[in-house]
Amino acid sequence: MEPPALRQLSEWLWELPATGGMRVPGRVYADHQLLKALQDDQSLVQVGNVAHLPGILCYSLAMPDIHFGYGFPIGGVAAFCVDDGVVSPGGVGYDINCGCRLLATGLESTDLQGKVPRLIDQVFRDVPSGVGSSGAIAKLSRKELEDVLVKGAAWAVEHGYGSRDDLEHTEDGGALSGADPSAVSERAYVRGQDQVGTLGSGNHFLEIQVVDEVFDPEAASAYGLYQGQVTIMVHCGSRGLGYQVCEDYLGVMAAASARYHMDLPDRQLACAPVASPEGRAYLAAMACAANYAWANRQMIMHLTERALLHALRISPKELNLRLVYDVAHNIAKLEDHTIGGEQVKACVHRKGATRAFGPGRAEVPPDYRAVGQPVLIPGDMGTASFVCKGTEEAMRQTFGSTCHGAGRVMSRSQALKRAKGRAIDRELADSGIFVRSQSNKTLGEEMPEAYKDVERVVAVMDRAGISPRVARLRPLGVVKG
Amino acid sequence: MGQAPSNWAARDREGVYAELDHPADLFLEIWGSDLPTLFENACFALYDQVAVLAGFEAGRELTIAVRGASPQDALRALLAEALYRFETEGFVAIDAEVNVDACDGPEDLRVTARLWGEDADRRRHALLTEVKAVTYHQLAVVRTPGGDWRATVLFDV
Repeated sequence: MEPPALRQLSEWLWELPATGGMRVPGRVYADHQLLKALQDDQSLVQVGNVAHLPGILCYSLAMPDIHFGYGFPIGGVAAFCVDDGVVSPGGVGYDINCGCRLLATGLESTDLQGKVPRLIDQVFRDVPSGVGSSGAIAKLSRKELEDVLVKGAAWAVEHGYGSRDDLEHTEDGGALSGADPSAVSERAYVRGQDQVGTLGSGNHFLEIQVVDEVFDPEAASAYGLYQGQVTIMVHCGSRGLGYQVCEDYLGVMAAASARYHMDLPDRQLACAPVASPEGRAYLAAMACAANYAWANRQMIMHLTERALLHALRISPKELNLRLVYDVAHNIAKLEDHTIGGEQVKACVHRKGATRAFGPGRAEVPPDYRAVGQPVLIPGDMGTASFVCKGTEEAMRQTFGSTCHGAGRVMSRSQALKRAKGRAIDRELADSGIFVRSQSNKTLGEEMPEAYKDVERVVAVMDRAGISPRVARLRPLGVVKG
Repeated sequence: MGQAPSNWAARDREGVYAELDHPADLFLEIWGSDLPTLFENACFALYDQVAVLAGFEAGRELTIAVRGASPQDALRALLAEALYRFETEGFVAIDAEVNVDACDGPEDLRVTARLWGEDADRRRHALLTEVKAVTYHQLAVVRTPGGDWRATVLFDV
């Protein structure tokens, strides 16, 4: 299929005019070079497909890290009116509440001289990772798991894995309301009972990093970040439980799409009205999976703290591990937005996109409210990750959303071909990054050059005024699944 | 037990399945001379992506039965069930025998797959890729003009 023609609106913004069955135009944030890379794939067609769905508000949005997904593009944002719009499991993805958590420490990179391999080895032992990883804690009973699904990160805190302050610094307090454990299938329970506190595989990781550069001292100071400081970043989601919820509800939605006479350009866009029984059931089950993911990342934080204390032989006070923030980047949420001066209740789908709420919003924790929500954007394991901040402009243009990462530029098989005969771990070690992985295949697939340039992706959203950069984090050590 | 199982461990992908280009996920094209063979080959493709099959033995027999309203739906259901059993039990097959019956015409296919393999043990077996799901995206099962069958399946990884 020919890539659709785009109209340039500014240096950073392009419009995909509404044609055919599109109810609204598409809007793509990108610079010339990122846009050029998009011409080769079908992701712009997918941006257009999403614009076909009933009740879509304003635009079908694409962030600069957009790439071809299944149904909805990865790096897409779509908001639907809760009264006449839809909710779609495909607009969230299989890994519900895949997200990112940033921890600050009281250490500086000079404190870790020569110790990074030892730390990474200890974390690699203590935080289960890899295909089907399990067993971080004792298998949960049905009742305990139901508790996890309702309470999210608070469940972990109640069991001694973290503190109340952690919840304050987690999107939605680490638990979406409306979670109904009875909306989750038996199969999802079976898949989830043994995976709380595990990283999984693929692009998920745990990194020890250093704050490499501060761009916005005021915001950095509000977030408690300074140059030279050691940080830890965790990227993972809801594991098998979330995958199963998506799988189950795609089936439900396929039937619902027929019942509500949805004319869909792609089966993976299957959806139902937000207000329908199917829509409500999905949101209740999705909230359970989202809460599972927050409990998972909370538990990983705890396991990491224990590993670091053990390996460094220092006191918790010296380590001073603190949660900066935790964001979801695969989720659908009911949010209040202002469109043309009017308050609208919207169901905002962020699939590979991060919430970026501006200053003053009640959802932003009190200590960050003056500067805006911290936005965490993981990059590839050889380059850098970024902390950015949410803005008023994001509220106006993107339903308070921004990009979620670098985005792949090479397929996994291309990357493996490129990695053949090379030792990716040694190459990374040469540039000062110590990496441990369960699988060499994963290392090859995830090698830095398989990703877009994260600096460029972040720069687009910075220049567009959506999510200005606060600090750059450079990896020192990486655990991959 | 059926016949002594052959073993996929030494099997070549050539002519059975191939990986198609996709920016992020795992997109496979699978071939078979008839529908049951196509489904067997799809099972092989899934397990071959998930684990290094050399080192697995055929000590456990597992039967998976699914239904589908079309060949592609039946194939997706079969692979989703195999994936579920892998994730919850660790089961990896190294051989399969598939039967496809039309219950009520081609709109209702019943697929019964007998799989032989063993439960993965991370101390002895190498696992490769965490497949999250078998998607509906670009899911297709078609009969080629030459009479063979061809499927495309996109796995979320």
